[in-house]
Amino acid sequence: MVLEPASNDDPILEVGEFYQLLTAQLESAYGRRHPCWVRGEVAKVYEKTHLYVDLVDAGSSASDAKRPVLNAHCWASQWNPLKRKLASDGVTLQPGTVVNFFGYVDVYAPQGRIGFTVTEIDVAGLLGDVARRRQELIARLQSEGLLDANKRLVLTPVPLRVGLVASPQTEGFNDFTGQLLHSGYGFDVVLVKTTVQGDAAPAQIVNAIEQLDAVGVDVICLVRGGGSKGDLAAFDDERVARAIASSSTPVFTGIGHTGDESIADLVAHTRAITPTKLGEELVALVAQWSERHVRANARKVLSATEALLDEATEYLAERRRTMIFAVRDRLRGERRHLSSTRQRLLIQSQYVLASAGQLLASNRQLLGAYDPTRRLAQGWSIVTGADGGVVCSLADVALGEVVRVRVSDGSFDAVVNEKNGASS
Amino acid sequence: MSTIGDWNEAATELNTIVESFDEGEVSVDELFVKLERATVIIEELEARLDATKAKVEELAPRIARVAEEQ
Repeated sequence: MVLEPASNDDPILEVGEFYQLLTAQLESAYGRRHPCWVRGEVAKVYEKTHLYVDLVDAGSSASDAKRPVLNAHCWASQWNPLKRKLASDGVTLQPGTVVNFFGYVDVYAPQGRIGFTVTEIDVAGLLGDVARRRQELIARLQSEGLLDANKRLVLTPVPLRVGLVASPQTEGFNDFTGQLLHSGYGFDVVLVKTTVQGDAAPAQIVNAIEQLDAVGVDVICLVRGGGSKGDLAAFDDERVARAIASSSTPVFTGIGHTGDESIADLVAHTRAITPTKLGEELVALVAQWSERHVRANARKVLSATEALLDEATEYLAERRRTMIFAVRDRLRGERRHLSSTRQRLLIQSQYVLASAGQLLASNRQLLGAYDPTRRLAQGWSIVTGADGGVVCSLADVALGEVVRVRVSDGSFDAVVNEKNGASS
Repeated sequence: MSTIGDWNEAATELNTIVESFDEGEVSVDELFVKLERATVIIEELEARLDATKAKVEELAPRIARVAEEQ
């Protein structure tokens, strides 16, 4: 462009006058009466009654300092019906979305900004060349059996040794590692630093995956925070997809925002929707293992110990009670036996005594029959010789001998004058 | 030094004594001897049980912490 030389005849404009002139010029070309379509990728979007969008060229990189940005806005009166339409089509405006805006130029002099007032949004253009190329790559990977290659790998039950492909100190890196650090588990993270956007990123990511696969980690994690489609383009790169599919280590991805799905996500063993979610999933895997093999067993040990101690306590208490009752019963039995024996002996003794008494009385009665006093009373007498012996025979006395005759009421002496035999 | 065997041996001996009482096999002369032996076994087992409980009370909170970790 060739600048015309300054002339003293040119009018000097105040700033306000300059903006009035500029606004008039722009509005005559792209103003309310001359709206136009603008196509771009959403770099930033936020809604506060009205919609505000920073639109950039589709596929451009945030690292490009000269990347043009269009500050578009859609006033609530326009935005509310548009929002309902987008929602009914299942479309959400988010970083990375490529969209066609219809509207007109809007100069805001107090901030010296040229903006764009949106009156219509066309999302049909979303599926452009990028999407077509992406579908072709997916089809190729599918036909070669690479989409499922990494998914078929068996993940170790406790993936504590984590290979990390990320750019340190980025939001995604911090979100992911923060989850691991705060989990309390002993994750061992082996980091291979890479850039995660720009032209150099795919080769660095491939190298990092191969390096970590060779080191021997439990899992390789590709981590990158949110960004525009262009920022995440490295993860749609065919080289990265093939490196993941060829890895003998399971590859997990946590790339971009919710809703972003890169080719790397499709090829990976496991895909998390964000770096934070990826960290949470790894922690959950370890926690599940710990729950099954450590915490559950700890609870079983506690429960079994408690049951065993209760059982042993009850056993000893029962044995103690049983012994007390058994001894008491045994002693009572012996006491009853002794008491019974004593009673039996007493009864038997009384019986023996009674029998002896009866025998004695009988004998006494028998003896009474032989009592000599009863015979003397009947008239019998007892004769005793001089020597005091009872005279039972003639031979016991001599003629002239004085004998004593005992009768019932006394005795008298007599002299033997004659002895006569029984036959005489 | 303990005069009884391990828990199972001691429990078996104790059970045998109790069974002999149940079956009326214990004479009065044996009664005291067996009762004394049963008492020794029960007291020794209770002492072991108390000691084990004390150890468990010390260890249980540590295991509980593992069991309740989130």
